[in-house]
Amino acid sequence: MNILNLRTLLTALLLGIASVVWADPPPDYPFVSYDKGLRLAQETGKPIFLYFGRYGCAWCDHTNKQSFSSAELKKIYPEHFVLVYVDAESGKRLKLPSGERITEAELGARFKAFATPLFVYLTPQGQEIFKAPGFKTVQDFKDFDRYVIEGHYKTQTLLEFLAKKP
Amino acid sequence: MKHSAAVLMLLAMPVFAGWQFSPAVEVGAAGDKTVFHHLESANRKGLGESGGRLALAWEDNRAGEPRCWLAVREKGAATFSVPQALSAGECYEPVVQGMGKGRFVAAWEADGAVWARVDGKGQALRLSGAEAAHITLARADERTLYAAWAERAGEYKRIMLARLAFDAGGLKLEYGVPLEAQMPEDDQAYPAVAVSADGGVTVAWEDRRKKHTMILAAHSTDGRKFAAPYRLIDMPQVRTMNLGAGMGSMRPTLARCGPRCLAAAWLDKRDFLSGYDVFAAFSDDGGRSFGRNVRVQDSFGDNMAQWHATVAANENGRMVAAWDDERDGTADVWLSNWNGREFGDDIAAPDASGPGTQSDPLLHVDAAGTLHVAWLERTEGGGTRLKYASATWRE
Repeated sequence: MNILNLRTLLTALLLGIASVVWADPPPDYPFVSYDKGLRLAQETGKPIFLYFGRYGCAWCDHTNKQSFSSAELKKIYPEHFVLVYVDAESGKRLKLPSGERITEAELGARFKAFATPLFVYLTPQGQEIFKAPGFKTVQDFKDFDRYVIEGHYKTQTLLEFLAKKP
Repeated sequence: MKHSAAVLMLLAMPVFAGWQFSPAVEVGAAGDKTVFHHLESANRKGLGESGGRLALAWEDNRAGEPRCWLAVREKGAATFSVPQALSAGECYEPVVQGMGKGRFVAAWEADGAVWARVDGKGQALRLSGAEAAHITLARADERTLYAAWAERAGEYKRIMLARLAFDAGGLKLEYGVPLEAQMPEDDQAYPAVAVSADGGVTVAWEDRRKKHTMILAAHSTDGRKFAAPYRLIDMPQVRTMNLGAGMGSMRPTLARCGPRCLAAAWLDKRDFLSGYDVFAAFSDDGGRSFGRNVRVQDSFGDNMAQWHATVAANENGRMVAAWDDERDGTADVWLSNWNGREFGDDIAAPDASGPGTQSDPLLHVDAAGTLHVAWLERTEGGGTRLKYASATWRE
């Protein structure tokens, strides 16, 4: 095992032991359920930021503490997006625009939420723009925000957009 | 010419043991692209057999709201009956248990409570005293069955167990008890129940008391007083990175595979990079303990998420696990047969695989060893279809 991997492993171990890791949505953000979020997005014309978390998910907790604690994100994400949180293991029910009633866990299956956290950006009509699995930094979230809000996703892939970043 | 050559090649190939499937039939056709069927239930218990009759329970919105339905295939018939509504209003996650001599008991969630009723007659019996969900059933003998569900006790839900008496007069609640006397520290959900030949009752369920979703089990020799819960899932010897409070595991299923044999299967995220896998464990002491966990799906399914896992077995040890995954591009129903030592290579159920989406399998293995499979087929135009096929094992 090289030094970098060892350091990563130790960090992860410490993180797993030291953290309170039941990964609810981050505090101070107006997260709502998926069905309510779809309605709000249609009403407001805002895109959706869909956060799939899991109870006990360390990287969800890490993201909440390291990234969503940012005052900048706390300002721009609620302004720009309808924020939706889904517990990918939950039996909580929600209603899709088609009229179908499914659980949050089933929604996770349909979005292929194989790992958490998974962040999905959706148009106001609920169409997927892109998915970003795993821990993301404040800068990542700011880049994703620009990619969606400035409409770059309509003409280029996320990788193309990020490659052109100054 | 090509056709003849292909036939000759087939004839020359060695014959392998395997499941021989009947053609699939549609159940409860709604003919409406806005109707969505669901087969989710605690222990994925929507398919049952009794005296050669087969019953399938599901929920769909054909009545404009989610309702539970039951259709029966009579002995020797090829198709199922027209669906009967299990309750008058919104209803979720129905289950059905064969009781012998062609009789069934169904149970479901409605109005924030859980209910049970003898198929085709009798009043529905309310089993829960508070807000409840995730009911499942298991037969003890021709006159007795158990129901388990999750019921609110304070801030969280906990697992309850009830013994029901079943006779010509209908269904009676003998008693209902929590598995643990103390108030729950966090949510408990989706129980699965199995009854061994000595009358012992084993319940497995999702439990969040350790701040992640794990599978616990508890055993009772008399179906009333339970020993302390134990962990059904192995914890990794070396803590795997990024698991936080613990790996996720969910939706346990249990099946009796002999007088003292129980099999459990569930979705498990210990290998978190590829989503949920199907894991299983066995008990040879009627559920007092379970052995080490084994991965069910084969290596071709390792790099993708499995969903909707279930296991079914009969008294003779015929045992099958099923789930859906997208290894061939779209969701298909996959089966793995237990050969006495391990789960064998995965096989795609013929009519539950191929183009389109086939998912959410329910299984039942009857006393003769016939495998019964129901699943959902998602149509391109919208809506779903409910399908069923049976299979016999050919050596």
